[in-house]
Amino acid sequence: MENSPLFKSGHTACAGCGQAIAARLVVEASGANTIIANNTGCLEVFSTKYPETAWGVPWIHSLFENSAAVASGIEAALIYLGKKDTINVIAQGGDGSTADIGLQALSGMLERGHDILYVCYDNEAYMNCLSLDSLVMTKDGLKKITEIKIGDGIYAFDQNTHQLVIKECSGVLDNGLKEVFELKTLHHSIKATANHPFLILKRNGRGKQNTFVWKTLEEIKIGDRVVTLKGMNGDCRPFKFQEIKKAEKGDYKVNNINAINLPRESNPGIMKYLGIFIGDGWRRKGRGEIGFALPAGKKARNILTGLHEKIFGSKVTSDEQYVYANSVNLASFIDTLELGQGAKHKTIPAWVFMLPQEQKEAFVEGLMLADGYDRGTSKRYVSANLDLLKRLRLLLQTLDYRVGKIHIQVKKKGTICVRRALLKDSEYGYICFSKREKWNTEKYPSQYRYQDFLIDNKFFRTEEVTSVESKGVEPTLDLRVEGEHNFIADGIVVHNTGVQRSGLTPFDTNTTTSPSGARSSGNIRPKKPMPEICLAHGIPYVACASAGFPQDLTRKVKKAISIKGPKYIQVHVPCPLGWRHETNQMLPVAKLAVETGLYPLFEYENGVLTGRKQITPKPVEEYLKTQGRFKHLLNNPEEIKKIQEIADNNIKKYNLRLEV
Amino acid sequence: MREFIEGSHAIAQIIKACQPGVISAYPITPQTHIVEDLAQLVANGELKAQFVNVESEHSAASVVLGGSATGVRVYTATSSQGLFYMQEVVFNIAGMRLPVVMTCANRAISAPINIWNDQQDSISLRDAGWVQIYAEDNQEAVDFHLIAYRLAEDKRVMLPVMVCMDGFILTHGMETVDMPEQEKVNKFLPNYKPLYKLDPAEPISMGLLADPDYYMETRFAIQETLKASLGYLSEISQEFNAVFGRDYKDLLIEEYQTKDADKVIVAMGSVCGTIKEAVDQQRAKGKKVGLLRIITYRPFPYARVYEALKDVPRVAVLDKAVSLGAYAPIAVEMKAAFYGKKKGPKVISSFVGGLGGRDITLESIDEIFRRLTAKEVNSDFIDLKPELLKEEYGK
Repeated sequence: MENSPLFKSGHTACAGCGQAIAARLVVEASGANTIIANNTGCLEVFSTKYPETAWGVPWIHSLFENSAAVASGIEAALIYLGKKDTINVIAQGGDGSTADIGLQALSGMLERGHDILYVCYDNEAYMNCLSLDSLVMTKDGLKKITEIKIGDGIYAFDQNTHQLVIKECSGVLDNGLKEVFELKTLHHSIKATANHPFLILKRNGRGKQNTFVWKTLEEIKIGDRVVTLKGMNGDCRPFKFQEIKKAEKGDYKVNNINAINLPRESNPGIMKYLGIFIGDGWRRKGRGEIGFALPAGKKARNILTGLHEKIFGSKVTSDEQYVYANSVNLASFIDTLELGQGAKHKTIPAWVFMLPQEQKEAFVEGLMLADGYDRGTSKRYVSANLDLLKRLRLLLQTLDYRVGKIHIQVKKKGTICVRRALLKDSEYGYICFSKREKWNTEKYPSQYRYQDFLIDNKFFRTEEVTSVESKGVEPTLDLRVEGEHNFIADGIVVHNTGVQRSGLTPFDTNTTTSPSGARSSGNIRPKKPMPEICLAHGIPYVACASAGFPQDLTRKVKKAISIKGPKYIQVHVPCPLGWRHETNQMLPVAKLAVETGLYPLFEYENGVLTGRKQITPKPVEEYLKTQGRFKHLLNNPEEIKKIQEIADNNIKKYNLRLEV
Repeated sequence: MREFIEGSHAIAQIIKACQPGVISAYPITPQTHIVEDLAQLVANGELKAQFVNVESEHSAASVVLGGSATGVRVYTATSSQGLFYMQEVVFNIAGMRLPVVMTCANRAISAPINIWNDQQDSISLRDAGWVQIYAEDNQEAVDFHLIAYRLAEDKRVMLPVMVCMDGFILTHGMETVDMPEQEKVNKFLPNYKPLYKLDPAEPISMGLLADPDYYMETRFAIQETLKASLGYLSEISQEFNAVFGRDYKDLLIEEYQTKDADKVIVAMGSVCGTIKEAVDQQRAKGKKVGLLRIITYRPFPYARVYEALKDVPRVAVLDKAVSLGAYAPIAVEMKAAFYGKKKGPKVISSFVGGLGGRDITLESIDEIFRRLTAKEVNSDFIDLKPELLKEEYGK
């Protein structure tokens, strides 16, 4: 998305935050002549951390519960100044600050008839996003910064020799909320605080030795050359596999043993095999089933068959679509490798990052056989698993490949994909990479040495900084590393959260203050009927919208601001942290809420129902199963029935069913 | 122009003269007459302001916060529980550096519920970052509102000001007041020109999150501004005297017969009228007594207090509020003013009186002078009724 002048990027909302998208749509629909009063909440925190703001319109935050009253004062002042006709006033807040603590101020605003649009961003609980994890290179591979303990071996730059060294971590420091910047080079990106030092190449002029200086991020200019990790070959070694207790004939449920040899440590062959497994394989451990979706005739099928025989000394079976390497022991073995399970959850485990170059390359080759293709000299790897892509990008960086950014695209519903039409829009990503061409350093030694001072260095190179951008404020951790005060990290961010129940938390939701347990299936009451409560004030416009239907939201905001008097729009905004769904599932989850009838999109004008989003209702289970907060319900048909009733009542009440 | 007028009506008249653009208040005794009058003035078209009838004090304060942030002069008034319900917003307004002016009609705090006068409400909000000025009579109450706007809107200050006047005693008392003429008001108090405001022509964000890297400096800035405001108050009061022909010295303290006094009572607000009369009576009997009146309680004028009382041997502090479990609020400041100094009273005794509207009479004041001996007392309640203290529970 291009940057919006009214709600600028660089704020610190979580990935997949529905509220950030909805808030931007609201302010863009309302336009530059808008003043916004904002309650305390996620939106306020992630968009305005002194000394920065994401807002391009005049914006004020006072307290948790008083935006409706502050907006009333703004509107009164604008009337006094004779400017009300040209300026829209919006009061906004989350569901807690609207339906709970701020209900009184909202009611007062509605009843007094102020010409204000109130927008409630309903993420159905008290959320408080923020906290940061980076992935750090350690002796044992890639680890989350939060997982690192004192005493762990951390990779660092040796400032004298410019070599890769392992240093002991002597402390993990909570740095608190800090302004964070993203530094990008052509092939790398990292998030760090402004005072975080980076190693920068200093050219000392003709005939003089170039040197390196530490510059803090804020001192770095575009065009400076920063030192990046080139490869980690020096210290890399094969991975010793964990020994498993082999099953034998006569063990529980085992009546036939497919004799196979299991390798002791990693080698290029097994790595290529596992690469293919990540792309096309599955396993069912209990049944000892290992399968690969490799149709007959695909190149990868022959390679896999050959590898399997060579590594495991065993044969595969196959049919037209699939290859099977069924073995209880093979399944247990693969289970120890932490490759993850299911297309969405497969991952590149930490140990792969520590392998020797040729084994990593074999692994990448395997991945490419399954899900990649070549475009000229560049290779392209495609996956719907964005976490896998992020990790692959890091892996390729340790191989000193040229790696582009992760591109994200959406395949439309109905597109033929692996011989089947997609049932819904689905997001996928790809990255392009290629091997670096060897420079002819013999022919042009000084030119290349000028371009890359570290051309002979095994571990590091210099890369030109292409941009440094503020990413707003994030909680940060720092590591204290013995001797060197540096470590190698990539700024991949995940967030922690609070998630307490609010008045708009749905029935049976698991939150931290309405937990499910032996005697509870979560929140005991359905959502407070805020739209009806507002409607009862006799105001001219009340609507429900959803971040899953952006055009509908935009239309409703535009309509609302064209009407004089108090207006209320409640926008359903998924929160991946609180609802526990994947960050790329924001749109599908929001849509399902509407399509099941659980979040009816309707609008009332002057008390009359004038619009509704009609649906062909889907069972509520389809919505519930997308989110961790409803996970406890999935084996509880009785509770699901109660939730289906809520949806059915909505469908009946607002006449949502699409007539065929 | 001199008028025989009720305190509340006089306040409404002076607010009208100040021409605020947004007024918002929630009714609470004894502040009610002020906002009733203002509502009527707006309804009559005599005052071109938006009067927002809110559902609570929390919203009243929020509305004036919003109005002030939009660049308009604003006004609200409250009392007691209302001020407490506003408290969250009261702190917020100061933190956002908005020049709001509020009248606090001082009244006791529940429980037990009591609608009568003491100063517990505003004194409890002393740490909010507001300037607090306490009036002795209605003439002062009227004048102080003009000074309050001048000080609040001063570019060097940009902080809210609370004008405190004793509930009922002043708000419902009829007195002759010299009401400032509109032309003079216009001369003394020019139109409000905000330093910053919510305006689509120049969008700004207000009320941002300040992390540990930034928060403390914002509080320090208010602290420094408040300290400097002591000087600005003196400066503004001289200008005020020039325009209106009054005789305010510096609006920080008033010294009454303190020069040669052996015993001085320190007090705040309308009770000082009674004390002055008691002082006069005692002086007539040849006793060297005096009064030191605190006018500005926040920021507290430590240096002026020190100068005024450094040679007085015995001082009694009369508080119309109490900090339960500790020294009374003004007594604390008095002790702090002399701590570690070369000169100062040998005795600073502290008395608490007039809570919940109990009358402080001439006899009460005489009693204080009598009990101001070489033996220092702390938070000694005066005018208690022994017969009500006999019942004992829990034994």
